[in-house]
Amino acid sequence: MSEWWSYGLADFLLFSPRVYFRLFETLNTTWWLAVAAAFVAGLVACGLVMRPGFRGNRVILVLLSLIWVWVSYGFLWKYYQPINWAVPYVLPGFVIEALLLALFAARPLPLRFGWRGDFSSMVGAGFLAFAFVIYPFVGLIEGRELLQAEIFGSAADPTALGTLGFVLMARGTWRWLLVPVPLIWCLIASATLWVMDQQIAVLPLIAVWLTVFSCWLDLKNGVTTRKITEAELAEPAD
Amino acid sequence: MLGGAGPLWAQTIAGQKQPDVMRKVIPSTGEEIPAIGLGSWITFNVGNDPHLRDQCADVMSAFFAAGGRMIDSSPMYGSSQEVIGYGLDKLGARDKVFSTDKIWTSGDGLEQLAETEARWHVKKFDLLQVHNLVGINENLPLLFKLKDEGLLRYVGITTSHGRRTEDVMAVMENERLDFVQVTYNPIDRDVEEYLLPLAYDRGIAVIVNRPFQGGSLLQKLEGKALPEFAAELKAESWAQLILKYLIAHPAVTCPIPATTKPAHAAENMRAASGPLPDDKMREQIAAVIGVLI
Repeated sequence: MSEWWSYGLADFLLFSPRVYFRLFETLNTTWWLAVAAAFVAGLVACGLVMRPGFRGNRVILVLLSLIWVWVSYGFLWKYYQPINWAVPYVLPGFVIEALLLALFAARPLPLRFGWRGDFSSMVGAGFLAFAFVIYPFVGLIEGRELLQAEIFGSAADPTALGTLGFVLMARGTWRWLLVPVPLIWCLIASATLWVMDQQIAVLPLIAVWLTVFSCWLDLKNGVTTRKITEAELAEPAD
Repeated sequence: MLGGAGPLWAQTIAGQKQPDVMRKVIPSTGEEIPAIGLGSWITFNVGNDPHLRDQCADVMSAFFAAGGRMIDSSPMYGSSQEVIGYGLDKLGARDKVFSTDKIWTSGDGLEQLAETEARWHVKKFDLLQVHNLVGINENLPLLFKLKDEGLLRYVGITTSHGRRTEDVMAVMENERLDFVQVTYNPIDRDVEEYLLPLAYDRGIAVIVNRPFQGGSLLQKLEGKALPEFAAELKAESWAQLILKYLIAHPAVTCPIPATTKPAHAAENMRAASGPLPDDKMREQIAAVIGVLI
């Protein structure tokens, strides 16, 4: 469409905050069992990633893959798509992320998740804490009801944020493949919240900046390029 | 007007007599339509939420009950078209509505139009417009063809936020348009200089979008006292004063304010009754609002 240049960001806000945040209320109340299951699956993955050493790597990847499939269908397709014609254009990205996570799980040597004690590990752990514990409540700042909470595993924003946390706590040469989709979604989320005058719009943007900086640090420090040592390999992979 | 035994959406309005409100003439045919319409940008994009869909039907019910006819939408407005179709079904209001929509594609205009008709459950639109001049070279001839074949009553083009005004005026000068839709309110007055006089001279009806700047103008005026002369115009609110300012312009046919509240839809329609401001008072309205915001 050659006339795109004549549109501003606000032109693409197709819905009111009232309608947007009611999506989460409807999702949380209609699909509460699936929402709870996805959150618990995320918690299990979170527990595995925070244990010392590299354990449960395949389990983490499979759980995250399933979560991205559920967010694609449950939130994006079933609820968000009817009010936002742009969703079909971003949906393939979510499916690709789910497929990539599944592919990493199927590799002979999957990504290795675990606490390394460096800066990006800290950022990753911070993202996880934020996505799981704080994000569901940030809507209260804007005067939203708790029923409209955006929960990791079902809502796209905390899921993207949390996935970046998982990725930053992983080691592996091809780790970066998992970064673009949640990173781009964080940019979209920030823009959406910004045109809806939501103060929390800055949070996904900070996450983008911290992710890019952490990835750069990891590249510089060899975290994503250095081969895993014999001792690390001796750790059980699953 | 809004009272009744059940929820508004459950009450069909088929056969209900609409009150007399001020009407304006569509210059190309002489047909008269009520001077206030209803927009659906953002407000009617509520997805599949049944509760919110019923709220939109309530707004439509109040709008029709107060004498309104023109409802405007676009394929760009998410689920708004479907929600309007839902409301029309609920209310049995197909004979009341002046159906107004748009083509917004660089691809197959006919295919998009078929989707639009399916969402509204309407076979023949009163007015179709080329949205923001998108695909104008393909879509405008298509609309003229449909009109010539008797499948459409009126043809128009739209713009908003003062975008591509010169291009819009070029089309107005060279094509036999029935309608043009532009942004106009007491703050955004650029169209007064050239576009509205051109529409008047060429006999093109004018639909006004963003009469309240998407609601932000009314938010800024909230709690501020109306000027004394508002009483002379029987304007009870800033919304009515702004709408009277707009419809008092001889080139303006129909502003299309959007709302999520039935009471506001009825309030907006009441602006199309009682006295209108003269030129001097219109300037006063613009000046007062300019100072207050």
